[in-house]
Amino acid sequence: MDADLIEAPIAAPLAEALPTRRPPSGVWRQSWYRFRRNRAGMIGLVLVTLVVLTALIGPWLVAYAPDDQSAMLHGASRQAPSAVHWLGTDRVGYDVLSRTVYGAPTALAVGLGAMLIASIIGVVIGGIAGYVGGLVDEALMRMTEFFMVVPVFVVILAVVRLFGIVVVGTPLERVPNLNLITIIVLLGLFEWPSVARMTRAEFLRLRQTEFVEAALCIGTSRRDILVRHILPNALPPLIVLVALGIGGAILAEAMVAFLGFGDPRSISWGQALFFNYQILQVAPWTCLAPGAAIFVTVLGFNLLADGLTDAFNPRVRAG
Amino acid sequence: MLSIPVSAQDKPLLAVEGLRVQFPTRDGVVRAVDGVDFHVGAGETLGIVGESGSGKTVTSLSLLRLAPPPARITAGRVVFEGEDLVSTTPARLVAIRGRRMAMIFQNPATSLNPVLSIGRQLSEILRWHTGIGRKPALDRAAELLRLVGIGDPAARLKQYPHELSGGMKQRVGIARALLCEPALLLADEPTTALDVTIQAQILDLLAELRTRLSMSMILVTHDMGVVARMADRITVMYAGRVCETAAASTIFDAPLHPYTRALLESVPRIDHSYSGARRVLPSIAGRPPDLLHPPAGCRFHARCPEAVPDCARIMPREISVGPGHTVSCIRRGSPAETELAA
Amino acid sequence: MGALHFIARRALFSVALILAVSFALFGLINAIGNPVEIMLAEMPGVTDDTIAAITKYYGLDGPFIDRYFAWLWAILHGDFGTSVIYNQPVGDLLQIWGIETLKLQLPAILLSLALATAFGVIAAMRQHNWADFSVVSGAMLGHSLPGFLLGIVLILIFSTWLGAFPSYGAYSTRNMLWNSLVADGLWHMALPVTMLTVFNTATLTLLMRSSLVDVLRQDFITAAWASGLPRRRVVFGHALRNAFIPVLTYLGTLFGLMLGTAPVTETVFTWPGLGALYIQAIQQLDYPVIMGETMIITTMLVTATLLTDIAYVALDPRIRLA
Repeated sequence: MDADLIEAPIAAPLAEALPTRRPPSGVWRQSWYRFRRNRAGMIGLVLVTLVVLTALIGPWLVAYAPDDQSAMLHGASRQAPSAVHWLGTDRVGYDVLSRTVYGAPTALAVGLGAMLIASIIGVVIGGIAGYVGGLVDEALMRMTEFFMVVPVFVVILAVVRLFGIVVVGTPLERVPNLNLITIIVLLGLFEWPSVARMTRAEFLRLRQTEFVEAALCIGTSRRDILVRHILPNALPPLIVLVALGIGGAILAEAMVAFLGFGDPRSISWGQALFFNYQILQVAPWTCLAPGAAIFVTVLGFNLLADGLTDAFNPRVRAG
Repeated sequence: MLSIPVSAQDKPLLAVEGLRVQFPTRDGVVRAVDGVDFHVGAGETLGIVGESGSGKTVTSLSLLRLAPPPARITAGRVVFEGEDLVSTTPARLVAIRGRRMAMIFQNPATSLNPVLSIGRQLSEILRWHTGIGRKPALDRAAELLRLVGIGDPAARLKQYPHELSGGMKQRVGIARALLCEPALLLADEPTTALDVTIQAQILDLLAELRTRLSMSMILVTHDMGVVARMADRITVMYAGRVCETAAASTIFDAPLHPYTRALLESVPRIDHSYSGARRVLPSIAGRPPDLLHPPAGCRFHARCPEAVPDCARIMPREISVGPGHTVSCIRRGSPAETELAA
Repeated sequence: MGALHFIARRALFSVALILAVSFALFGLINAIGNPVEIMLAEMPGVTDDTIAAITKYYGLDGPFIDRYFAWLWAILHGDFGTSVIYNQPVGDLLQIWGIETLKLQLPAILLSLALATAFGVIAAMRQHNWADFSVVSGAMLGHSLPGFLLGIVLILIFSTWLGAFPSYGAYSTRNMLWNSLVADGLWHMALPVTMLTVFNTATLTLLMRSSLVDVLRQDFITAAWASGLPRRRVVFGHALRNAFIPVLTYLGTLFGLMLGTAPVTETVFTWPGLGALYIQAIQQLDYPVIMGETMIITTMLVTATLLTDIAYVALDPRIRLA
């Protein structure tokens, strides 16, 4: 009887003391919550969304066609921003706002295209190297070191120029925006080593984790282990690398175009800078507009990558 | 609020009174140490025992004000050799650390600087505290290496930490702490990261050294076997508060606090036969409380086999139940503590 | 000793790498086509006979391997050929224009290392308060701002509007500043070096801060505090000695980055350096310069990587054995 009396009081406080728990959310949702709290990452997301929206909707909203040079015909080129041309006109009469807006889809095409190529090649090669190991791994790693030592930017310039000459008189010449495509492909080809390196490191690390060992023990097939266990865990750092790479590729194309090796028939921010650099000191808006666009885009992707890094690898942060 | 009668012989070397340490975090304030009292006499070894999260490591670090930011000491005093370290100047702290009070750490692999030689790390401390030259400092360092049982000290001084074994690194850590012959040594889980055979050696070494140098020691651990061997007195902590303090023999033979009893029962013993049909090892049900939102009343009440409804409301105050024996439990006679605003 | 062995292996590998690049370069150039034919393609009135004659004259009609080794042999003896545009030995051109490039890049690296250390220490020690926040925000902006855009803005502000600094060239053609070559040179270097330093400092600061924050969390730093060492000693003697390692090793990569984007830097400021030389050579198809300069730049990059490896071994005793 006394025992009962003592039992009852314990039961009640115990039940109150233990809080009810919701089932824990999955890894991706947790990462999203953490990302939301990261100010830098959210700003990056906003900027990138802005650029994407500009690329998708902008062209429908601008007042002038990007190749409209009518301003030059009535002597209105190199005009400062006004009510007629919101960002002014450039050296040959183009509307600066229009050219800047139309530069967005080009930039995104460059960034996404280059990183797509780099990712496919890099993940395949890095994955094989990391999972198979041995001589294959060694050979692949030496190859990546080779690519990393070559002065990438400088070689791209040379190849673009020489390719342009070689192609004269061949059927390839008639491919639209060939120059731009060449640049995208080259950027992708030079970016894959860093993707491969990272993929390899992740595969190596994950291959040795206990949960993969456990999966092997219970007889999971190699393919299943790759697809269901290793790949999803290797994804986060890959996403971060891709975000950074997109920004980097856009910047690289801008620099190539700025030096005059770009595609004169494409509308890109680097091209705009190339056309208008000579009149920088008398008509700064012609260069500041595309310049600001490049900055905002690259900053956006960098901040996004930073926020994603934090979201995927939380560190204890107090206060 | 010190309610423990001070021992008749002399004032304690170290007296901790009402210590509170908090960590402000994004989700609230973590009250890691919430009103802790204990003292250590000259030449005495105090064992502080508790589970992970009991606040024992934060307590020991806070004695020298080394708890990592954003930790803050929000109340209490740490009176060492007559001086309150909580309110003293940084200059005094720097003079006391490593000289009068020193510390050895849990993980020997990470507590030595990997890019500096052993000799450099040891002599630097000596030279800073005593101003002696490079050669005499290295000689003294070699002497100490010999004292802690490291052979060929001259060669060791030139080596780097990664060239030493775990046991040797821990001996170097001990030598580093003893360079200036401190009055009090703080040992935070000194053997947890070592092999069992090496553990015994290190404990023997510590026992020998404290006698030889007439040193007091605070031994923080979760291992009852370690305190059984080394401690004169034991303080049991749970969730940031002290449950019970007594002489070692009393704790083991006649523990009073329900937590102490549960703790001792859960230690597997060869000479016990675990009765019952399933032969299950006894453990304490439940989980330690969330220190962000600690429960009202006694911290242990949710897991306590002797809890009554009052336990959930009343925070027990320490009460003396015998010579040098204090308990915080209303079922052992503790009165209620009026919570000080923290 | 393990260290020497490691360095020797890396040095050998570097040499192999340079040779591999030379082979790839030569192969690529040849795959594109007969250089003579390409160079003259844009010139009217040139017949196939002329092309054949010139090809023969330059010995460009031999088998690939023979030509490759002949070229390699010449390069190794410092003979880079003669520039088609300038009619000067390529080696001389590389030297003259190379010094101009180094005039910008070496000060930029040194300055940024000093600044980044200062900022990194300030930010790491005052974590989570406003000083840390402003350093990190500033560094993120500086790191994301494309160099050449910053250069353009610097020109607009300091040259066009304020008229305080020149916007092109390495020297004034008339009216040298204070009639001193040195002062004039420094005056012209001011804006381009600032541009390079901003990006480098931003990147290194972020690296230094994160490295230092990691190190400060380590047990041995707590142990150093517990030994009573003063703040300055712990931060500089213990923490920085560890935190510096990844930063110093990144310097090699940074140098490579600067060298690789030299064409852009030097176009913005119309600076007569290796980058500008390269662009000219590509545009005007000056083959000897293209090939010679590519080899020199590759060698410089490989050397920078090797020095980085050596620095790492020197600083971190854990690598020396094994």
